[in-house]
Amino acid sequence: MTAAAPDRPKGLYARLFEPKRLGVMAPGTSVLVYAGLLFWTIVVLFPLYWLLVTSFKLPIDVNEGPRYLPFVDYEPSLHAWDYLLVEVGGDTFRPYVNSVIIAAISTVLAVLAGSMAAYALARITYKPRFSSILSFVVGIIAVIVLTVVAGVPWWLSLIVGLAIFALLARTIARRFNARLGNGDILFWMISQRILPPVIVAVPVYVMFQRIGLLDTHAAMIITYATVNLPIVVWLMHDFFLSIPRDLDESAEMDGATKFQIFFDIVLPLAKPGIAATSLLVLVLAWNEYLLALFLSSVDAQTMPLLVAAQNATRGPQWWSMSVLILLMIIPVVLIALALQRFIAKGLLVGAVKG
Amino acid sequence: MQVTLDKLSKSFGHVQVLHDLSMVVDEGEFLVLLGPSGCGKTTALRMIAGLEEVTSGRVRIGDRDVTDILPKYRDAAMVFQSYALYPHKTVAENIGYPLKLRKVPPPERDKTVREVAAQVQLEDYLTRYPRELSGGQRQRVALARAIIRRPAVFLMDEPLSNLDAKLRVHMRAELKHMQNTLGTTTIYVTHDQVEAMTLAHRVAILNHGRLMQFDQPKTIYRDPANLFVASFIGSPPMNMVDGTLTSGEFTGPGFAHNLGNDLSVGPAVIGFRPEDCSVVAAGTGLIPAQIYSNELIGDHTLVTCELHDGSATPHTVTVKMDKDFEAEMGTEIAIAIDPAHLYFFERESGNRVRV
Repeated sequence: MTAAAPDRPKGLYARLFEPKRLGVMAPGTSVLVYAGLLFWTIVVLFPLYWLLVTSFKLPIDVNEGPRYLPFVDYEPSLHAWDYLLVEVGGDTFRPYVNSVIIAAISTVLAVLAGSMAAYALARITYKPRFSSILSFVVGIIAVIVLTVVAGVPWWLSLIVGLAIFALLARTIARRFNARLGNGDILFWMISQRILPPVIVAVPVYVMFQRIGLLDTHAAMIITYATVNLPIVVWLMHDFFLSIPRDLDESAEMDGATKFQIFFDIVLPLAKPGIAATSLLVLVLAWNEYLLALFLSSVDAQTMPLLVAAQNATRGPQWWSMSVLILLMIIPVVLIALALQRFIAKGLLVGAVKG
Repeated sequence: MQVTLDKLSKSFGHVQVLHDLSMVVDEGEFLVLLGPSGCGKTTALRMIAGLEEVTSGRVRIGDRDVTDILPKYRDAAMVFQSYALYPHKTVAENIGYPLKLRKVPPPERDKTVREVAAQVQLEDYLTRYPRELSGGQRQRVALARAIIRRPAVFLMDEPLSNLDAKLRVHMRAELKHMQNTLGTTTIYVTHDQVEAMTLAHRVAILNHGRLMQFDQPKTIYRDPANLFVASFIGSPPMNMVDGTLTSGEFTGPGFAHNLGNDLSVGPAVIGFRPEDCSVVAAGTGLIPAQIYSNELIGDHTLVTCELHDGSATPHTVTVKMDKDFEAEMGTEIAIAIDPAHLYFFERESGNRVRV
């Protein structure tokens, strides 16, 4: 028996939904596809449009709204822009600079430290004993109990805790052979991001309060870099795995140290990954609200807090919020455009094989 | 410089991939490590390079024991199968990278890069990137990067296997010429016996992590130490026919051959190369057989003959005949073999039985 190829079906359905030739969509299909795309485009772009038109409204245009079209529904006014940029310009400018400084520095730190960790996890096999990790936990518990419950000075309990860890790790822990691998370490890191950040917000607040760093750039930068580190490790690990190990070994034979291999060979090849990861982490830091709410008040206040503050005693100031949000969006869009050429580019062509 | 391997062994977990490999590679020698995939040849090379830890045994380069030192202190350069060129660096930067790491000042570095590039005919490509080069040119960049720092030893891991057949033959000749000019000790890993035979001063054949034979190519071809070497070297490979060897007489399917001595080893294998035998009329010759197929190669014809050993799967041997040879498939014939070119092996151990 032979199974012949079916004939092209006829009728209305076929005329609408069977492609006429290779490489084109059937008329019915393209109507459906483009209708879907158009719908989604509106969903995505309408809020941006609304922000833009709202930023040029007077309070009365908002309260008696909704008014959609400038010059038609209402007369646009620069009142909100003038108020935020000129009248109270200093109070807008300071959080803006804070946001730029904190987001930029924390991103650089997180990407630098995170890529190094990710590279190590991609290239070196770690086999920590499970029992050694338990010993470490026991040591930490000892430190806490001694300091908090028994009132021993912190430096003394730290020494005792370290001693307990060392003692356990060198003796009992050696008898157990269960080991963790790189995958476990990687999962442990990313699991830090599974917890809701509000859980750590209070302890972090108390910590910075104790060391007197509340409402400073340093506190915000350290916190954001730490919080974003797992994401960098997780993403960069995959990028590094895609770089052939031959290149590392070749550089090693050429006489490079591990750091030279990392900075001369691996990092330049991971540029697309670095660009994508930096952008993501930068946006996360730029938009972060909850931790900023705990850690900053005036001096280190960031833009998301300023936006939220527009919902003040006088009720939500939609026109001011719109201006501030537009100001927040602009640099992110510019950076995304600048990084785009790295993200799309395949850098590994010509590395190995023909 | 001389390279000495002393009882080199390597295990990955419970799997031992290299067993007590000992050999001395002479100064200026071109040594080829040859064997099927998984025989441990690449592992051995990587241990000499320092890219793989040694489980037991020592590696010496010259007088120095390098077993436990970092690759960069070993003065060995390596060419990888994948070339491993740095894709974001130009040809000149790729070739000059070892010098840059050794902090050679730029003017001197540029001069040396130019000299070496000229040696491998790459002067016109110095500003290109690897992705803009052909396979053969990439291969030359990899070679240039290896020779630029005049290492004590070249290590090459199947450097030609990614090239197409024609280019491979060309690069093979270039490589041999270059090694001869530089006079640098070279250890070359391949699974291609033609590369091994044509390039090597001496060939080390490995199988299952053990050294099978270590000798000059012609000796390995003419005087194989065991069944593995005999069947691995030669294309088409040596014909093997099972039988028994008792009281100086080898008995195989439908024939017997008297050795003129009184050797007895029991189960044995008789071996003969396709070029050492010929197809003759039935009733003459040594082994009765039937024509299975003819293949005209060009300057010769390969005749596959089926033996009458009564097994279900056809047991065939290959005979190399003149290009004008013609015979109907199924014709009864016999195979005549020059007794001087018969090899005997113990079937179980594979060891050569010398007569």
